[in-house]
Amino acid sequence: MSKHRSDSWQIKLYTVWVFFVVNLRRLFRDRVALFFTFLFPLIFLFVFGSLSNTGSLNFRVALINDSRTPLAQLYSTNLRKDKTFNIQSGVSTLAQADSSLSRGEIDVIIELPKGFGQIINGLPTGNAILRYSGSNQQEAQALASIMQSQFSAITSHFTKSGQTLKVITKQSDAHSLTSFDYTFTGLLGFAILGTGIFGPMSVFPELKKMGVLRRLHTTPLRVWQFFMSNMLGQAVTGLMSLGLMMVVAVELYHLKIVGDLATLALYLILGIILILGIGLALGGWAKNERQVAPLGNIIVFPMMFLTGVFFPRYLMPQWLQSITNYMPLTPVIDGARMILTQGKSLLDLGPQLAVMGVWLVIIYAVAFRVFRWE
Amino acid sequence: MPEIIVKVKDLSKSYNGIKAVDAISFSVYKGEVFGILGPNGAGKTTTLEMIETLREIDHGSATITNIDVATNPYKIRSLIGVQPQSPGFQDRTKLTEIIQMFAAAYGERVNPRTFLNEVGLGEKANAFVEQLSGGQKQRFSIVTALVHNPKVFFLDEPTTGLDPQARRNLWNLITEVKARGISVILTTHYMEEAQILCDRVAIMDSGRIIALDTPNKLIEALLKRGFSKPPIENKANLEDVYIDLTGKKFKSEA
Repeated sequence: MSKHRSDSWQIKLYTVWVFFVVNLRRLFRDRVALFFTFLFPLIFLFVFGSLSNTGSLNFRVALINDSRTPLAQLYSTNLRKDKTFNIQSGVSTLAQADSSLSRGEIDVIIELPKGFGQIINGLPTGNAILRYSGSNQQEAQALASIMQSQFSAITSHFTKSGQTLKVITKQSDAHSLTSFDYTFTGLLGFAILGTGIFGPMSVFPELKKMGVLRRLHTTPLRVWQFFMSNMLGQAVTGLMSLGLMMVVAVELYHLKIVGDLATLALYLILGIILILGIGLALGGWAKNERQVAPLGNIIVFPMMFLTGVFFPRYLMPQWLQSITNYMPLTPVIDGARMILTQGKSLLDLGPQLAVMGVWLVIIYAVAFRVFRWE
Repeated sequence: MPEIIVKVKDLSKSYNGIKAVDAISFSVYKGEVFGILGPNGAGKTTTLEMIETLREIDHGSATITNIDVATNPYKIRSLIGVQPQSPGFQDRTKLTEIIQMFAAAYGERVNPRTFLNEVGLGEKANAFVEQLSGGQKQRFSIVTALVHNPKVFFLDEPTTGLDPQARRNLWNLITEVKARGISVILTTHYMEEAQILCDRVAIMDSGRIIALDTPNKLIEALLKRGFSKPPIENKANLEDVYIDLTGKKFKSEA
């Protein structure tokens, strides 16, 4: 009868549950693990949070020149030479510029509409439009006054009185991202990376050294049960840690949460489990810590610098962005940001979920294949 | 004829062309303590690990209650309990929690305290394994290997490194396990231990079984071959003195 019971799914999941509960309790008795799970990411949040509050010296500008007049051409040429205006290349249409603005990749859009700079009655006329988002109000005002004085200088060649070239400021409807939004979701990725990969990478070889896994190997425990108990544990502690970061970010750094928290939690759990798979593969394969450390670094460091953990990916050249799009952590960070700050739903995140799904299959296939109990 | 629980036939294992275990055959009966003796490198541990499903079998077969080891590893693991040479447990985990985990690994739910009381560790229920002494750890390890009431219990050099009291306690425990009808297979370097505990012993050398019988019959056979050694005058030895003076701590605990 007992044999019959041990074959049922409920019993197999009960096994997973017991391992999960006991190991969770064990984690909370381990100060070092607690530090790395909860405090370590927070320290980074404090550091990067205060860094990203300092304003930048130049403004990232998309220049859309639809006017063919000589004055418009001359003005845009001069604008490109001006160090205050960091004109972004590669943004040529208003639609592109708008979406860049909403992603926080640029601060303002300067639009020179058709006919801007036409000479009418001997005077240059037209309105330049300065578009900005809610989070760039200050920058927009500064730029508007700079431009207005430039326009005054131009018109003064024609007339001493009156101002026929004007700057019109327009706030775009879309909520745009601040640089902190990028910093914060990058740090979420950092926390996921840290506990998901370095956790099993250091714990499993330790358990092997103590003979714990070898001992478990003499029981009918399956690898998937062992993995699943780890996934549960990581999902729970991961969400706690990320939640804590979010509270700190909202309180101290005025993070604006636009999206649905349940959606975000679901998405982050998926990301946590995905990245944990890399840790399970590395730790499950490793005979000892020395053996796995170099391989772990080769995998972790590129992700740390190329997937938007510490540097927003929009700073990268286009070709690098299109490659790093396909790294496992990239869709985790991008998707989390899109939910958190743009209110996207899971249905909007098809491309991200697709990349994550493919990686999930690959990573866990490898993890199961290379796992060894001793 | 007693019921055969473990049946090993022509079991072989090679490492890099060297035969670690060379076509050995034996059977273990229900409720029997079966000892495997031999020098280091004789193939004792490899033999155990093949029957325990931990190592692939090159040739031959092993069955436990007529279930083939090679083809049903998970079923076999639910029928056996294994005490490794040096039992390791995860730290920062209470004894009760470890017992729950092992029981869960076998798909069972147990009351850990009952098991701990049986081996005199009731008071240590909330302690961590790293707080136990060597002997206590051995007893605890045996508990975790028996939570699922296995048919066969394997012990690989269980008393190596234990002090005399702890060793005797372990002998008592093994005798109790045997009394529950569980077959015990153990390896040891201590002949005294084999003589006291084992119903039958197999002596291995270079991967082969060179003798297999009850300890008494092996001794008789040796004497028949004309062996003699100077008669011993002493009725007690130094270990008896030591045990007498230091007492059996474990008995009062239990």
